[in-house]
Amino acid sequence: MSLNIKIGMIAPLDMIKFAKMPKVREERIAATPAKPLPKTYASNAKAEIYHPRRQNVVIDAINDNVPGVKEIVLKAKDGRLAPFRAGQYISIGIRIGDVKTCRSYSISSAPELAKEGIYKIAVKEDPSGFVSPYIHKEWKVGQELTISSPEGFLYYEPLRDCRKVLALAGGIGITPFMAMAHAVASGREDCDLTVIFGARTADAIPYKNELDELAAACDKVHVVYVLSDEEKEGYEHGFISAELIKKYGGDDYSVFMCGPQAMYKFLECETAKLGLDQKHVRRELFGTIKAPWECPGYPTDSRGKTYKCTVKQCGEVYELEASADESLLAAIERAGIAAPSRCRSGECGWCRSKLKSGTVYIPEVTDGRRFSDIQYGYIHPCASFPTSDVVIDVPAEYLF
Amino acid sequence: MKKYDAIVVGAGNGGLSSACRIAKAGRKVLLIEQHNLPGGVASSFRRGRFEFETALHELAAIGTPEKRGDIYKLVNEDYGVDIKWLPIPDLFRSIHMDDDGHVIRDFTMPKGRKAFTDKMEEYAPGNREAMSKFFELFDECEKALDYIGKSGGNPDSKVLRSDYPNFLKVGAYAPMDVLKALKFTPDAIRIMGTYWSYMAVDMYRLSSIFYLMMVGSLVDGGAFIPEHTSHEMVLGLLERFHDFSGESWFNVKAEEILFEGDRACGVRTDHGTVYSDHIVWNGNPSMAMANCIPAEVIPERELKLANARKFSARMSVVYVGLNKTAQELGIKDYNIFISPGLDTADEYKRVGKMDKIRSTAALCYNIVNPKIGPEGTCQMSFTMAYSKDVWGDVDVDEYVDLKNEKAYEILRLYEKATGCTLIPYIEEIAVATPWTFCRYNMCPEGGVYGYEASEWDNCMARMMSIANDNKIKGVKFTGASGPRGDGYSESLITGSMMGGMVLGEIAREEKEGK
Ligand SMILES: Cc1cc2nc3c(=O)[nH]c(=O)nc-3n(C[C@H](O)[C@H](O)[C@H](O)COP(=O)(O)OP(=O)(O)OC[C@H]3O[C@@H](n4cnc5c(N)ncnc54)[C@H](O)[C@@H]3O)c2cc1C
Ligand code: FES
Repeated sequence: MSLNIKIGMIAPLDMIKFAKMPKVREERIAATPAKPLPKTYASNAKAEIYHPRRQNVVIDAINDNVPGVKEIVLKAKDGRLAPFRAGQYISIGIRIGDVKTCRSYSISSAPELAKEGIYKIAVKEDPSGFVSPYIHKEWKVGQELTISSPEGFLYYEPLRDCRKVLALAGGIGITPFMAMAHAVASGREDCDLTVIFGARTADAIPYKNELDELAAACDKVHVVYVLSDEEKEGYEHGFISAELIKKYGGDDYSVFMCGPQAMYKFLECETAKLGLDQKHVRRELFGTIKAPWECPGYPTDSRGKTYKCTVKQCGEVYELEASADESLLAAIERAGIAAPSRCRSGECGWCRSKLKSGTVYIPEVTDGRRFSDIQYGYIHPCASFPTSDVVIDVPAEYLF
Repeated sequence: MKKYDAIVVGAGNGGLSSACRIAKAGRKVLLIEQHNLPGGVASSFRRGRFEFETALHELAAIGTPEKRGDIYKLVNEDYGVDIKWLPIPDLFRSIHMDDDGHVIRDFTMPKGRKAFTDKMEEYAPGNREAMSKFFELFDECEKALDYIGKSGGNPDSKVLRSDYPNFLKVGAYAPMDVLKALKFTPDAIRIMGTYWSYMAVDMYRLSSIFYLMMVGSLVDGGAFIPEHTSHEMVLGLLERFHDFSGESWFNVKAEEILFEGDRACGVRTDHGTVYSDHIVWNGNPSMAMANCIPAEVIPERELKLANARKFSARMSVVYVGLNKTAQELGIKDYNIFISPGLDTADEYKRVGKMDKIRSTAALCYNIVNPKIGPEGTCQMSFTMAYSKDVWGDVDVDEYVDLKNEKAYEILRLYEKATGCTLIPYIEEIAVATPWTFCRYNMCPEGGVYGYEASEWDNCMARMMSIANDNKIKGVKFTGASGPRGDGYSESLITGSMMGGMVLGEIAREEKEGK
């Protein structure tokens, strides 16, 4: 053997040193005091405040806004609430009868208020909906709720976005931009915000006074109202169009949008006309698809059919019926099973579950799955519609 | 009452590997994970039209069809995961910059002994003989470890002394001692030290053997990544675990290990209680002992050990999706280590403060996998490891601003080092800090590397102490806190080892009729 390494002066001692390593280790351990270990560490404690698994709040006030919209003030049961980036949303766990479901609402209040334990949200009643009419009818001041930590990515990101931000809002889609307007006005966020707010008529504009006040008080907050059903002095008329975006955007700007699905479809065509880079066009989550049969590629012979759905969750097995017209998540919740969800738009992956057998239809616009999830048969039940009997393995939910 | 042969808590690399090992032997295993995904740090996430790898830079020990490496043997062959590994062209590029932002050294090291040695000669002349001895020593250490493994951890010291004397002689030393003894020049030592950041311990305190094994096997076999991010690999492992009749529960948090006397008998979770006499814990042992294991069953030595240890690297990663191709941006390298190029002990000290960022490991995935993202784009990540819990002092309301400030510093560092412009082309950006790892992986201080594998607690010392460690009855710890320390390969192998130990115990107990 040619190699003959010598590190210490006498090589055999090195070998002994090696053999003694476990002994040295034991000596070191023995010489250390057996103190009780810390339960947590500084970063862990901070992360817990920043990203709590869940938050407990009380309804502090319910304020009427425009007809059909109520502002709800949520207050932490104790202490503060998690900080959020203006534009983020929370999911609220809701029990209606046996159903445990959740809905997302953008936080509309100033990020600074989180420190005082306050988030405000605004809920518009959708008369054909399941949860929003319930909220309007049943929620009372003093009631306790469990909510998620802030989620979502519709926020100003200085490393990515233009300093000039055009926020295109439709109806109740103004809520994330209310928080942004507050954040800009207080100097928390350093961008130039122009809200272009589409509504039917001038008296159907939620938060109008608050928004006007913010714009009057801060030269970096601007607001333009666009009325579709009414012509009025000081308001634009029609829909939010490419020309209007150009008019208020100038040369360099990022577009953020939040509103109903129909608005996204319309604006997709309008922003395409402007030739904007994808990085400059950002929209909020699409929302739950309620008429999958209108989406491209829907297997039409499934429409109206009901299938058998077997749900496995942490060792339990449930049998239920699932309509092809409704998301699998809704079917699971109807059966009284607490299943995980946040965005209910196919994008966040929170509801991610394994399809053990059967087939589903997944509209492309809300298919936010990872590459290998598709490979291995995972689906997002909030954006999947059964097209045969299915067996699905669902994770637990801890919001309830 | 539901009773399992084993319950594995945590579905990270270590947990998944233990779970597969035990389930493959026909035992009934329950795998519990608090997150809704398997993998722990080994994962991926979507932003806009991109899917980002969360953690993996590279894996060694895949090998070639002629000579398969240990990880290929374990993951692809033993567990039977169908996964394609993509080779990384060069080992690494390293750029050293002074505090004024001037490049002082820039070198790219290829794989293969000859190419590596030739390049070394070009950058640091006069090291041919040292290089050749280095590889000779690596070969000897590899064989020695193989022998020790085959002897079941009970090697004959006479054989060791006669066949592997150099292994024994360097075994108690740090890489710095060994490189000096091999007479590497200071310039060459700088190049040889580049990988220290993967182990997050400077070259004076690592185990030379683990260092040699890492560098040697990378030079020999090159490095790899899975085609579709870590998420593909862990889903593959989970799939196989299910094929072996394993059961998994996600979004379920283990809250307490239950004991009967001083022997573990089950786990209380936020989704009910489950029973088994064998608990494999993928979380951090210190956290477990402080929060989930009753003090009276913890032997004093285990408590002392935890007190004596330091947590290893706390991670921060900036992920960006760019709306230009790597070619358009002028990016040619998969991985670039940017650093001041100081002595590694000084660099270690520097990353123990919230100073301006001066070092990062930067990756551009498209160089290895041109099809990873949408056409016309590329995606990158920039990793920074802290040697102290410096993020613990940050105010929660200033967190976002600081995160962005740090991301900006890291991107500018890369731009200055390479001359490539990135910032105007950012379409998506996500910044993970140690808090992010606290949140998703519940690791102390956001340290994803377990305990510092250094000095008295280096990997060699841990390996030689296996019989002394894991003394809480019925509980085994798996993952980066284990004997082989941090890293994908290491956690996967530790996982298999711990699974094997559990199988051994079950078999013994069955024989004894318990
Ligand atoms: C990021 C984000 C932010 C949002 N922000 C706001 C906001 O600031 N303000 C606002 O007003 N809205 C907001 N929304 C919309 C909001 O989350 C709700 O979609 C809206 O309130 C309508 O809810 P709904 O229950 O009334 O109707 P939907 O839930 O949309 O419609 C009924 C649904 O319930 C299911 N269903 C019916 N009966 C049952 C049953 N018995 N059991 C189980 N399921 C059943 C149906 O299948 C259908 O999917 C936001 C949405 C997202 C994604
Ligand atoms: S809840 Fe977000 S993807 Fe289903």
